[in-house]
Amino acid sequence: MRKLVVFASGILFLSLSLAWWMNSRQPKPIELIPVLTGQPEYCITCHADLPEISASHPVETFGCVSCHGGERLALNADLAHSTMRGGANPSDLSVAEISCGGSSCHSGSEADDRDHIQRVMTSVQSTYAGAIANIRFTFGAQADLSAHFGINAITDVQTQTGIPSLASFEATADANPMILKFGENCLTCHINALAREGDSFARQNGCAACHSNGQHKLTTAISYTQCNTCHNRGNYDLRTMTFIQRTDQPAKRVDDYYQPIAQFTQCEYTLDCIDCHTRSEVMGDGDIHANKKDIQYVQCKTCHGTPTELPLTKTIEDPNDIAVKMGFLNPVVNIKTGDKILVTEKGEPLWNTRVLSDGTYEMIGKATKQKFNFRPVLGSSCTQTGEDQSSTYCHECHAVER
Amino acid sequence: MPELSRRDFLKLARDGFLYLSGALTLGGLLRFLDYNPGPAQKIAFALGSASNYPLGSRTSLPEIPAFLIHSEKGFTALSLVCTHLGCTVASDAKGFACACHGSSYDADGQVMHGPAVLPLRSLRIEITEDNQLILHTD
Repeated sequence: MRKLVVFASGILFLSLSLAWWMNSRQPKPIELIPVLTGQPEYCITCHADLPEISASHPVETFGCVSCHGGERLALNADLAHSTMRGGANPSDLSVAEISCGGSSCHSGSEADDRDHIQRVMTSVQSTYAGAIANIRFTFGAQADLSAHFGINAITDVQTQTGIPSLASFEATADANPMILKFGENCLTCHINALAREGDSFARQNGCAACHSNGQHKLTTAISYTQCNTCHNRGNYDLRTMTFIQRTDQPAKRVDDYYQPIAQFTQCEYTLDCIDCHTRSEVMGDGDIHANKKDIQYVQCKTCHGTPTELPLTKTIEDPNDIAVKMGFLNPVVNIKTGDKILVTEKGEPLWNTRVLSDGTYEMIGKATKQKFNFRPVLGSSCTQTGEDQSSTYCHECHAVER
Repeated sequence: MPELSRRDFLKLARDGFLYLSGALTLGGLLRFLDYNPGPAQKIAFALGSASNYPLGSRTSLPEIPAFLIHSEKGFTALSLVCTHLGCTVASDAKGFACACHGSSYDADGQVMHGPAVLPLRSLRIEITEDNQLILHTD
């Protein structure tokens, strides 16, 4: 009995010593009380060296926890990180509604232009519907190219495209071994897919796939290299149903980035993708679309017009116009009421353009701030007939020689 | 030197462990009771003499952050916290502008354009008997 008491008191002493020692190893907390939450958090005790995520999300206002989650008062790294949303990527679409959503942030109404998350969830970047339909059609699992499946099940209650929902694609439901391989190898590359393992893939899905370049930074000035992170960083091999990642370091854009079988004009290999392609093309318009062709609509004529018509324009009259808001977030131009800009066939503003007094146009690169002057087709020597104005026809004369 | 019996050794070990454990527990308790969570957020700010702010003056007080206006109506103050998401707005030629999301307010703090929908919050100014200004943010 006596020995047992000594043993128990020894264990008690050792336990208390261990607790004291562990406690004394914890860093002295550095407190931040963000304006938005008013609740203290200790994250910057260890993360003070992280750069500001963006000018729209200052840490003094947002703190860390409102986006990342986590245990705000924990000083132990494992405990502090244990309840983080999306690991290193709170914009992972499985948690983006909690991390980035809210009616004052990125999941408000369409009228307020705050339906970002809703639009992205139904976009082809997220559903992968076109590729899934193509593969299933190619290998005999469906009779046509209509979209039935997405990476995850999704519903569009107010369908404008006639596709009210997509079921979740389960490759195992198809017996064809090529479709099974497609399911195994090809579903990790879309923004609503599970991120591949490894730090380098941590921010390649969700909102961060486009708006972050892998660092703790968010931007709307997205350069073509960011788009190329997914688009043309290698080739799909349909025979083996694998993705062959390129190993070279691209240096010259038109030769090294673009497929040799396709044609490109100077605009297409000089401008950044987002200089022409709009937010609804890239982030979706809220409807489910069968494939990329159904949503991508900007062509050469959007900016250049046709031999018989000038491109569409609009004069900014409302200081709350979406063009002004977008110009504010990426201030490469000082856009204001009274400015005349180009708009697309669907009325989306090409807010980085200007109609100049001499009848020509100016575009400012959203990522480069470079200025480009260009003319309308009307009045030029272009002989293309009015009906044949898709970019394919423009390539006939204007594609670069390679 | 007297030889320590086994019984005495066990007793000494037990007492030693218990005393040391007690000391550690007491130390932990004192540390817990001594914990200082830091000063409570300040809600009253002494701005000095009212005579420092002449009629017509508009003074930015970034450390609060607030904006003190001395007009014909007397002293008024506006919070510089944007009513959209809480960023600090800056005064400009037209009034106030938020660098985070582009909300702008006129010189009286009324919304000129969003995303903010509410005006800048008015703050209470107290003038003491000895003509000192105290700004309250509660």
